Amino acid sequence: MSDEIMNNTVPEEEKQYSPLRRAWGAFLAFFGISSATHTASKKRQKLVGDIVCYIVLFIGAFLMIYPFWWMIAGSFADTSAQGQKEAILNALVWWPTRSTVTEGYEYGLFRNYDIFFNDAFDGLSSGFTFWKALLNNLVYSIVPVVVGVITSASAAFSFAKIEWIGRDIVFFLLLAAIMVPGPAITTAQYSMYQSMGWITVGNYSWGDFSLVLIVPGLFGSIMTAFFIRQFLFGLPTSIIEAAKIDGAGYFRIFTGFIMPLAIPAIMAQGLLSFMGCWNNYMGSYLMVPQQSFAISLPHALARLDENGAGPYATDYAVVIAGSVVCVLPVMILFACFQKTIISSLMLTGSKE
Amino acid sequence: MENNFAANAENVEAGAAVAEAALPQPKQKKPINQQKLQDNLWGWIFCIPLIVGTVWFVYICLVAALLLSFTDYTIYGAGDSMFEYLAQMGQHLAPDPETGAINAFGWYKYAFTHEVTIGTDLYINEMGAYLFNTVFYMIGIPIGMVLAMFFAVCMTRDIPGANVFRVLYYFPSVASTVSIVYTFKLMFSPSGVINQLFGLDGAEGGSPFTWLSLTGNNSLTWNGLTGSASQSAFMNAPYWCQGIFSKLVIIIMSVWKGLGGTVILYIAGLSGVNAATKEAAQIDGANGWQIFWKVTMPDLYPTIFYNIVTAVIGGMQIYMEPVLLLGENVITSGYVSLIYTYGVKGYAGESPTPSQGAAYGMILAVMIVILTLFQFWLDSKNKD
Repeated sequence: MSDEIMNNTVPEEEKQYSPLRRAWGAFLAFFGISSATHTASKKRQKLVGDIVCYIVLFIGAFLMIYPFWWMIAGSFADTSAQGQKEAILNALVWWPTRSTVTEGYEYGLFRNYDIFFNDAFDGLSSGFTFWKALLNNLVYSIVPVVVGVITSASAAFSFAKIEWIGRDIVFFLLLAAIMVPGPAITTAQYSMYQSMGWITVGNYSWGDFSLVLIVPGLFGSIMTAFFIRQFLFGLPTSIIEAAKIDGAGYFRIFTGFIMPLAIPAIMAQGLLSFMGCWNNYMGSYLMVPQQSFAISLPHALARLDENGAGPYATDYAVVIAGSVVCVLPVMILFACFQKTIISSLMLTGSKE
Repeated sequence: MENNFAANAENVEAGAAVAEAALPQPKQKKPINQQKLQDNLWGWIFCIPLIVGTVWFVYICLVAALLLSFTDYTIYGAGDSMFEYLAQMGQHLAPDPETGAINAFGWYKYAFTHEVTIGTDLYINEMGAYLFNTVFYMIGIPIGMVLAMFFAVCMTRDIPGANVFRVLYYFPSVASTVSIVYTFKLMFSPSGVINQLFGLDGAEGGSPFTWLSLTGNNSLTWNGLTGSASQSAFMNAPYWCQGIFSKLVIIIMSVWKGLGGTVILYIAGLSGVNAATKEAAQIDGANGWQIFWKVTMPDLYPTIFYNIVTAVIGGMQIYMEPVLLLGENVITSGYVSLIYTYGVKGYAGESPTPSQGAAYGMILAVMIVILTLFQFWLDSKNKD
């Protein structure tokens, strides 16, 4: 033994494996796993790893997508007959046993969508329609987001590129405001809005909008401002200096240089806040009276079910059709702008 | 008096003379001052909307919430606005839950002592029960993190089409929670997809398994919002195992919905891991497993820590999923529903008491601060 070590040779006995063990080693090596008898090639290792990865990712992707497929298939189920919800919608796996295709409705396949668009919301408060809820949702998600992103960008510009007295203190105060959990101050906000008369809305007409869901958004959001500020740090200050020497004021610099240059960041943040506002159920649920015409689309949708007590809790396929209508716009928007949104998410490390 | 005035005037004149003498070129100083002025002016102007918004909707409301929690404010019938009410808050202190006498900490006392029934001769502290639910839902955080890490590692391999998966995994995060809840409600129904998959739908005899029930195999009959509590509706079992499968569904749903965001966060973290260190380890003969634990994980630590902190803060505020799925009740709802039920919607059809909600809110804020500080303390201990 000691001689072998001194001569730096390998003992003969260690290479003796049983035929079974050698076959097992060959088998493992075929699947890219090295063992004592066989060494798998790098190429094979990579190939096997990739295949395993694909299988895992496909299973995961299936689990992620399946509920959406279920939603779409469910929206074509026919649950109009009494007590059909359990029999048809619950048992749905790939396609409903009794779908709107076969039942010969006026609008055929889109019977549930037809009811959701035209009749469903009338049961919540008479005269209320889907189109009003859609208008509400568009107003609640476009007006505050567009104005809010601009105000956030201006604040970000002043934090990133202008030296002014008290900047650090103000920045710290804003930073601290993020730490305040939203639900902790909700009741005070509710009382304040009530005192200001923002909770009571309108007289059941198309002009009803809740100020609570519009005005706070106009002032911009701190997280958006921080993200754009981070982006602006990457821009060279010399542009601003040059513009200053050429006689441009700060307002001119902001509108002429900063806004166009920061468009990728502004777009990403605007899209993310748009999606958040579009899905805003809580704000409408807490701050807008249930019966009013100013409720947002997700809130109106939730009222169709109302934990089994709503007007469409039995003809449930209509609620599922509404869910599809609610989800589809943001899904399409996200699919179109996924590059911008995901790269911004990766840059900030924020999940919203 | 006159002498003083005269003296002041002389001083001013003298001062001006000194200033003029000291600065032979006043033209050069003026532009610099003007630049400073411009900086300050425009800095504030650009920032003012955000400052006004933050002060108005966060800081004023925070102070108001703190003050409200010591008073007895009810929106309907109070007559005057919240600010007028708070200006005279000395006259409107909260009532004591036991005696009805004035006690500024009445709502806090109520929160810590109020008990509700969960079955025959079974009582539980209300806040403790809701808090237990909230903490129970946090089981989803480590599960989601491990799954997300797994998928993120798969996606950062050098394979074509990884970006497509990234998009697909993020889809649930952009979808509306209301839609998702209604879909899951039916998928987990007694004869739904999940039960068919696992053979629990009672097709081969026997009764189907009920996921979304608070009361064993009975359908839900008790509702905290309407207050129609009948003792027979409960399982007469220990609190923690009542409605446990409903909670499981909520955990599954929140993991499913939050996975995409965490995956993207980890991909960003993984692409920042030092490739040179990895290669060096590979040359030194480390296998993939060792590289992952010894090289990748330490570099990923900040990402993971950030993720835990934000997930815990978010997890403390869970409200929508359980309430949309099962209604407001003591068995499944999260802590925040105490705030919204008492403070905004009104308990059991009564008019809402924002003061009580504010007290619950202050307790929540303190708990979140303590939890966050605790995590940072653990972090600092870990680094030593």
